[in-house]
Order: sequence, then structure tokens, then C-alpha cells
Amino acid sequence: MSAVLVADQLTKWYGPRLAVDHVSFVVASGEIVGLLGPNGSGKTTILRIFAGYLRPSSGTARIDGLDVVGDALAARRHVGYVPEDAPLYPGMRVREFLSFMGRLKRLTAAALTRAVDAAVERLDLGPMAATQIGRLSRGYRQRVAIAQALLGDPSLLILDEPTNGLDPRQIIEMRDVIRSLGGERTVVVTSHILGEMERVADRVAILLAGQLLGVHAVRPSHDGRRFRLHIRGEEEQVRLCLAGVPGVAAVAIDDECRTSPATYLVDAEHPSVSEAVAGAVVRAGFGLLSLEPAPVDLEALFLRLTGDGTR
Amino acid sequence: MRNFVTLLAKEEKAIFSSPIAFAIVAVYLLLMGYTFTLMLFLNRTAELVRVFFQAAVLFLLIVPVITMRLLAEERRSGTLEILLTSPVREIEIVLAKYAASLTLVGLMLALTASDAIVLGVYADPDWGPIYSGFLGLLLLAATLAAIGLAVSGLTSNQIVAAVVAMGVGILLWMIDSIGYLLPDPFDTIVTNLSLVAHFTPFATGAVFLSDLGFFLTVILVCLLLSMRTLARR
Repeated sequence: MSAVLVADQLTKWYGPRLAVDHVSFVVASGEIVGLLGPNGSGKTTILRIFAGYLRPSSGTARIDGLDVVGDALAARRHVGYVPEDAPLYPGMRVREFLSFMGRLKRLTAAALTRAVDAAVERLDLGPMAATQIGRLSRGYRQRVAIAQALLGDPSLLILDEPTNGLDPRQIIEMRDVIRSLGGERTVVVTSHILGEMERVADRVAILLAGQLLGVHAVRPSHDGRRFRLHIRGEEEQVRLCLAGVPGVAAVAIDDECRTSPATYLVDAEHPSVSEAVAGAVVRAGFGLLSLEPAPVDLEALFLRLTGDGTR
Repeated sequence: MRNFVTLLAKEEKAIFSSPIAFAIVAVYLLLMGYTFTLMLFLNRTAELVRVFFQAAVLFLLIVPVITMRLLAEERRSGTLEILLTSPVREIEIVLAKYAASLTLVGLMLALTASDAIVLGVYADPDWGPIYSGFLGLLLLAATLAAIGLAVSGLTSNQIVAAVVAMGVGILLWMIDSIGYLLPDPFDTIVTNLSLVAHFTPFATGAVFLSDLGFFLTVILVCLLLSMRTLARR
């Protein structure tokens, strides 16, 4: 897959304060990547640099090969951006606002009508199309903001805290919307809520104090280095057996699956280790009831990478 | 150019769908009508010099109210982020907002032209000073609008934008007074910064390129400052 977004040694100073510290990462086409970190970790600053709102102090940011500073206007045509809190013009009606934004994105009259219709349908805004934005609920305003970002068919969607301030039902709906956008488009989304990232992103980039601590796959299909085994046998012996397999980095009882016999979570150095693990379990005479890929425990990963938060 | 037209249409709608614009025009016309009637019956001369000065003073107070929301409101509500991340140039945003504010000022000036029409119907005025007076008013209002736009770009608070722009305008209007206290060449410099010093010749029928150049220079500097404010991020 080709790289849609490339950050290379991206750095941003706000006066004497270093907000983003030499951050480098790549997002491939069709991926949903989450930027995860506490408030003030530099997530929004990175998104704003890619959206063209901020200029980096040093380093480069490229979208589809276009430098966001050197080819600013061209790069912005490849991006649909939804800022935090979805700022919109409250006096405009939904369709009027979308038409306005479509015209700014240089859509021709025919293409504009098609694009607005498609965005309205995609975000289920039909009943609200003639409503003033100021009268919409928070959830619908967020949808309108995403709808404007889809105009012009950008290859990259940037969503800053899209579930902020939404009620639980709206959060679920927004999550579905974001998931549905993945695959056909590249999506970069920020959140400081771990659970949101687990449900939405394929990979997460964890940030703290402007530094990128790591980029990790959240979904097993993209990594496969963590798997869940349901094994019949004495717990301690099973643990020893699993830990003794070359390539196994960590073994833990899966507390969330309170099964009997126990379920184990194994972190391996490579996905192929699962074969060796299965062989070792069978050879040792334990009953291997199931073996399946398991998603990364984002909470544990986050805590491990961010330490006590004082870095 | 297409973006300019799109942005201008949005700004025009924002201005003319607001009750502020209608209140401003109504108050302006009321005060100007009062002044014109008073001058006509007291002086009984077919000229508009005092009307022009009255309009100039009103513009010092009114134009900052028109321009206060242009960028400050976008900054406060966060919509500036939406605009600046669209494939739009800063110059297009600045010019569209500036042109929209000039539309309202132009409307007010056009309505003031009714005074000249009344003079033309009932007397035989010297049209030269009237034409130059309107040109001077247009340049003064355009200068104040450019100052107001530049100040509006520096803050997210509309009231602050209006008050500061008003202060800058009034200070530039009467800054020549301090020239009497300053030694040469500072007295000349200060006098040449004065809005009233450059407006008076227009109002009295004398058009100098230097005065025209002054207003155009201030307008240009303020528009560049507005663009710089948007670009610095």
C-alpha cells in the first residue's frame, strides 16, 4: 500500500514551548490511524500541520507526496479536515454550508450538486439539509463537519476528537461513520480515550509531551503478535510451557475471560510464533481448546509507554 | 477569483442578514439627514462641506462596528480554521472580507448622495467639491475599513476589535494637533499621518495625488498586515 501521509522529523515550537518533537511516522492508504495521548501531547498540533492550519518549525509533512508548506494549496485539496468541536457557521443552512465549502474546493456546478447530495446521503443528513446549523444537535453538527470534509473526494480525512461532547448513542453512530470511511479513504483521528481508539483505529501512534513513543497495531489482522489461547492444564505449568517457547515475550492470564480452564494472552515477537506455541502446548500434553489472534491491550501499552506520565 | 466571489457572497450575506447593518445604516441616515437639514436652513448655501465632515466623523465611529466581526468572529468561533485549511489563499479571504465591508460603506455613501441630488434640484451647486468630497469620503471610509479589518485579525473579541479600531482611527484623525508641540521634522511627519489633513482638501474641492497616495498606502499596509496575521500560524 502506498503512503498517503508522511511525517518526517516534524517539529513545532510555540514560542519557547516545544509542542511536537521530531515526530516521524507513515500512514498507508486506506488505514485508520489514531493519534493517542493525554491533553497537550501534541496530537492536535500534528493534525493542524497536516491540515495546513499550522506550519511546522522544522521537518516535513507530506500528503500524497505533496509538501503541506511548499505545495500548500495542492496538498489541502487532498485533505478533508474536521477540527475539534466542529466549528461551523451557525447562520447557514446545512446544504448551503456544504455548497459553500464545495465551491471553495473548486467543484464545478454539476460536481458540486453531486458531491453535496452524496455527502448528505452518506452522513444521513437528508432530514436536516434545510435546517440552520445553529439549530442542530451536537451529533448532527459533527456529521455536517464530516460531510464538508468529504467534499472533493479527498484521499485523507483528518478528524480531531470527533466524539468529543457526544452522548453515548451519538458516539456509537460516529464510530460507525468513521469505521465506514476506512478502507476507501485514509483516516487519521485523535482521541485521548483509549476505548475509542481500540474500536476505531487499525493502528495507534502514542504521543506524550510532543514525542512519538511508538506506533502499534490495534487490530490483530494488522499485527498478529498477540494471541489468545484457551488451554486445559495446570495454570503454572501451562505458563512455564508457554514462556519457554522461543519468540514468546510475555504470558498472562486473560482476566477479562474468566473461563475454566484459563485463557492465556501471549505476546510474541513475530506472528509465526503462534505455530510454535501450539506445537509446544500439544507436545506438553495440555489440551489446546482454541488459539486466536488477540488485539493489543491498548491500555497496558499506553501505560507502559507513557510510564508514570512524568516524562 | 472564483474563491473570492464565493467568499464575498458569504460575507455579503452575513453582513446584510444581520440587524447590525440595518441599525448602522438607519442611524447614519438619521444623523446625516439631521445635519444636512440643519446646514441647509442655517447656512442657505448650496455646498456639502460640513456634511462631508459630519459623515467623516460618523465613519470614524461606525466603520469599526462594521469591520469588528470580519476576522475576530471567525477566530472566536473557530471557523477560521475551516477557511484556512480549505484550498483558499489568505489574500482571497482578506479581499473578500474587505470588499464586503466596503459594500455597506458604499451603500451608505450612495444614500448620502441624495443630499447632492436635493441640492442639484433646488439650487445650482459647484459640483467639483461635491464630487471630490464624495471621493474623499470613500477613501477615508476605505482606509478606516482596512484599519478595522487589520485590527479584527489581531483579536478574537469583537468589542476589543471595534474599540481599538475606533481608537486608532480617531487618533489618526487628530494626530496633527500634536505636531504643534514637536520639533522639525517630526511635526511634518506627524501632520502627514493625519487623516483630517488628507481629507480636508478633498472635502473642500482640492484633489492632490499625495492625499490619494496616502489613503491608498494606508489601505495597502493594513491589507498586508491582515494577510500577514492570517499567514502567521
